[in-house]
Amino acid sequence: MNTAPTAPRSMLELAQDEMIMKDRIAAVLREKHRTIPEIAEILGYPTNEITVWLFGMRRYGEVEEVGRPDVDGYFKYEWKDKKAEEAAAEEN
Amino acid sequence: MKTNKTKTDYDVMVVGAGVAGMETASSLGNMGYKVLLVDKKPSIGGRAILLSKVFPTLDCASCIVTPKMAASAHHPNIDVKIYTEVDGITRNADGSFSVDLHQKSAYVDIDACTGCGTCEEVCTVTVPDEYNYNLVTRRVAHIPFPQAVPKKAVIDRRGEAPCIHTCPASVKASGYISLVRAGRYKEAFNLHLENAPLVGCLARSCYAPCEEDCTRCGKEETVHIRGIKRFFSDHYYDEHPEPEYGPVENQLATKVAIVGSGPAGLSAAFYLARKGHQVTIFEAEIQPGGMLRTGIPAYRLPNEVVDRDIKNVTALGVQIKCNTRVESAAKLKEEGFDAVFVATGASDENRLGVEGEELEGVMGCMKFLRETKIGIAPNIRGKTVMVVGGGNSAMDPARSAIRMGAQRVIICYRRSQDEMPAHDWEIQGAIEEGVELMLLTTPKRFIGNNGKLEGVECLKMKLGEPDASGRRRPVIVEGSETVIPIDLAILAIGLKPSTTGFVDEMDHERGLLTSDPETLQTRDPAIFAGGDCVTNPTMIVNAIGQGRRAAFYIDRHLKGESLDVEFESLLEKTDKDVVLEESKNFRSRPPVLQPTMPLEERRRTFECYERVMSEEEARKEAHRCMNCGECSQCMECVNNCPAFCIDFNLRDAAKSFTVGSVVMSTGFEILDPGSKKALNYANFPDVVDGAQMDRLLAPTRPYNSVLRPSDGKEPENIAFVLCNGSRDHTICNPLCCRIGCMYAVKQAQLAMGALPLADVTIYYIDVRAFGKGYDEFYEQSKAMGVAFTKGKVARIEKLDNGNMEVYYEDMEGVGGMKKAEHDLVVLTVGFLPNTDAFRLYKGGELAGNEFNYVREIDPISEPGRTSVDGLFAAGAIIGARDIPDTVLHAGAAASQVSAYLETTRN
Ligand SMILES: Cc1cc2nc3c(=O)[nH]c(=O)nc-3n(C[C@H](O)[C@H](O)[C@H](O)COP(=O)(O)OP(=O)(O)OC[C@H]3O[C@@H](n4cnc5c(N)ncnc54)[C@H](O)[C@@H]3O)c2cc1C
Ligand code: SF4
Ligand code: SF4
Repeated sequence: MNTAPTAPRSMLELAQDEMIMKDRIAAVLREKHRTIPEIAEILGYPTNEITVWLFGMRRYGEVEEVGRPDVDGYFKYEWKDKKAEEAAAEEN
Repeated sequence: MKTNKTKTDYDVMVVGAGVAGMETASSLGNMGYKVLLVDKKPSIGGRAILLSKVFPTLDCASCIVTPKMAASAHHPNIDVKIYTEVDGITRNADGSFSVDLHQKSAYVDIDACTGCGTCEEVCTVTVPDEYNYNLVTRRVAHIPFPQAVPKKAVIDRRGEAPCIHTCPASVKASGYISLVRAGRYKEAFNLHLENAPLVGCLARSCYAPCEEDCTRCGKEETVHIRGIKRFFSDHYYDEHPEPEYGPVENQLATKVAIVGSGPAGLSAAFYLARKGHQVTIFEAEIQPGGMLRTGIPAYRLPNEVVDRDIKNVTALGVQIKCNTRVESAAKLKEEGFDAVFVATGASDENRLGVEGEELEGVMGCMKFLRETKIGIAPNIRGKTVMVVGGGNSAMDPARSAIRMGAQRVIICYRRSQDEMPAHDWEIQGAIEEGVELMLLTTPKRFIGNNGKLEGVECLKMKLGEPDASGRRRPVIVEGSETVIPIDLAILAIGLKPSTTGFVDEMDHERGLLTSDPETLQTRDPAIFAGGDCVTNPTMIVNAIGQGRRAAFYIDRHLKGESLDVEFESLLEKTDKDVVLEESKNFRSRPPVLQPTMPLEERRRTFECYERVMSEEEARKEAHRCMNCGECSQCMECVNNCPAFCIDFNLRDAAKSFTVGSVVMSTGFEILDPGSKKALNYANFPDVVDGAQMDRLLAPTRPYNSVLRPSDGKEPENIAFVLCNGSRDHTICNPLCCRIGCMYAVKQAQLAMGALPLADVTIYYIDVRAFGKGYDEFYEQSKAMGVAFTKGKVARIEKLDNGNMEVYYEDMEGVGGMKKAEHDLVVLTVGFLPNTDAFRLYKGGELAGNEFNYVREIDPISEPGRTSVDGLFAAGAIIGARDIPDTVLHAGAAASQVSAYLETTRN
């Protein structure tokens, strides 16, 4: 059965959400490594929106993929504690 | 270097630094011509540098284009001006051209920027990334892409956010809002200190003109800016009962006296002490704070908040001498102060001038508010109170009287409610709390017994013709006298400057001190005056702005520097319509309701009735901000840049040159695939266009792998659909795009390389493989397993499993409509001409062809020549083409330019 098309939210609108959403995504990934559909399920947002925010975070090193994709083709992502890493780097 | 016989600034200006522009510029530079290469983008490289690999060799696009970028950028004969718009080109009689340009400000010192990217990381405003064709976001402080030349940061600013533009102290509201949205509360507080040190006071009692001008008013209602400030100021003060700093290290010997410790005086003291001056404030009252302490009731501003704000000032070493009335600035100079700032405010009360005003029980509003705040006000429990006046200063005593247990509180105002100068929300708040409005009424006389007020005889008024203020003049209704029994009458009929003494030695107008509106300097160069004693009563934030301004000019005066400089330069206010238009389809974001104390409780206590938002509420409210100025001015980039190269005072710079000839190489535009509605590009994230697919396949791709945008899955079955919006009469674009077939073949091969298990199908009408090695490239893809289906795709629909169904007309086999399922669909789209050249050439008509590309007069024997002698065109500006053809054409255009220059100069 075909579903009627509805336009996703624009990139500009999603971009404006990123600063709020990245903390929520970080909280979910801090618990354990997760795929985009898993994060979307927990946070109650569409997967395409999570994709935008997650890769916005990845761009600045806040998340990273783990290993190879699962059988369904999805990577899992982990949260990177940048502050802790920076502090460790300073100590060394 | 060739001799420049016409003495032009450059031999040639090349507009557009894509492949064509860089190639033309390098060829001419190699021939010894002096070249000006201009591009409106912040990097050279054009579209080609954003590609993955190039057909048919599958060389990496960076390997092909980066050397050209480096060659042009470092060529001794080429001056590259990026981020530069051409405003106009005209041809001169001698065959040379006059060109007007303006270099857009990147707000970054380009020479100092090392391209480290720190600004990007800390930036709090996110926008779509056009260099990744909107597949991901980027920050407004950004380096365009990893291979950018020059690799320098740029900051997007389209104007001053209305909230900042409206604020009399230019407090960076959008900046602290974006910091709160990003969860950086301490940074928000520190940002506020840069413009106003009395953060807590403003958070509770600023009249917030920013909220009236907020763009969000055009949607639901204003962002509750003051509520957000209240959240971060309370948060900061809870964590920091004392300031985190002490006096600045670099202490100077210069001494400044400030008269008055209201917001103007405190703010001037703060910024002067930060510069190292020795500052002493003289205050007549027993405690500092001016109106903040004595004029604003505690339910709006508790003294503890005033005290904590003042610590921000005294922590810098500022001395405050209370109980010390000063009435001469000249005397302070004699005592050894190098400069004086008079900021005595306007708290002297006007008189009504009617009988009985001297009775006990008739008092001015300032006296009443002061006595209330320090706990010595008359006991009015169970009594009837009348407040005369309709401004904000009438609301404060009326609402205070309710809290003090008065049985009845009446505001007596001579016009109607519409004319009341008080803020609507203040009037509503007063009414809610039980204040009665007695409108169109004025006191005729105060009636007393034994020197004590017993009642007020009032007259009815009606509205006549408008007066000078535009408000309708109240006219007495004769014979309408009535007596109302009143225990306490409070006169809130306006305040006048507190300038006793100063008026004897300084210029003034009816008590209002006169100082230069820009510098606040008075006739005596060492004496400055500002705040309400110069402006008449206004707002706290206005006085704070005046204090900071005074500090700026006093500091310059003390250092012997000229005062003929701008205090601060703001951009033009952002056009709110643009912001509202771009967000017109966004979801509505209703405001977070300001939590307040229940009404009954509110009537009984002087505790603040506005409660502070929770962290979650504050971030949610901050999220409603529309980033009107693009960059929010949160200053995170400025504070974190290791090279200190970000400067918001930089501005666009206009430049004019004469050049021997001009080459236009501004390339082409990509058609919006959304215009083919049935393909659902705008609706399905997994229908992407060719440019986006090139990004997905590039080594600097936006994702960690080739993934589909809808959910980050590795696609297993990819469709490439050729000729969308090209060879298409339905949208008036009959041209073949000339590269779609080949880049689809390229992308199909790259996709198979990246995703070895994926099926790849190309839907085509016919495959045009006309260049050297192209047919072999096409055959190679077939051999790799790419499926070619001859069929015109009519529409794309979405299945419940998230995949797409591609409907196509089968052009081989049995024919008819067929469908196939795919999980990623790539549309190769048509191209459109870039018509900038027609707009930029102002010397007459530059001829275009029937498709609106720039017309070559004789493409076979004189490639690149246009209808304007001396103005040439190179690359895709004359028609879309691939990189080899672009390079070839650019080389030909360079030879034509050389011939022209040699002819015009001999
Ligand atoms: C999806 C896709 C895939 C492609 N794949 C390939 C491939 O594999 N192989 C291949 O050979 N070709 C490929 N191409 C074609 C290639 O991109 C073009 O041949 C090439 O970019 C044309 O170069 P150009 O300099 O004429 O134009 P552009 O690259 O468009 O450069 C024009 C420059 O002019 C600047 N400019 C525009 N207006 C102004 C103005 N008013 N003032 C100042 N500057 C201005 C722009 O900022 C830009 O830098 C592909 C194109 C696309 C869209
Ligand atoms: S001031 Fe803030 S919002 Fe503006 S560019 Fe810098 S970090 Fe980004
Ligand atoms: S929407 Fe945001 S940036 Fe725009 S005026 Fe309102 S608070 Fe300021």
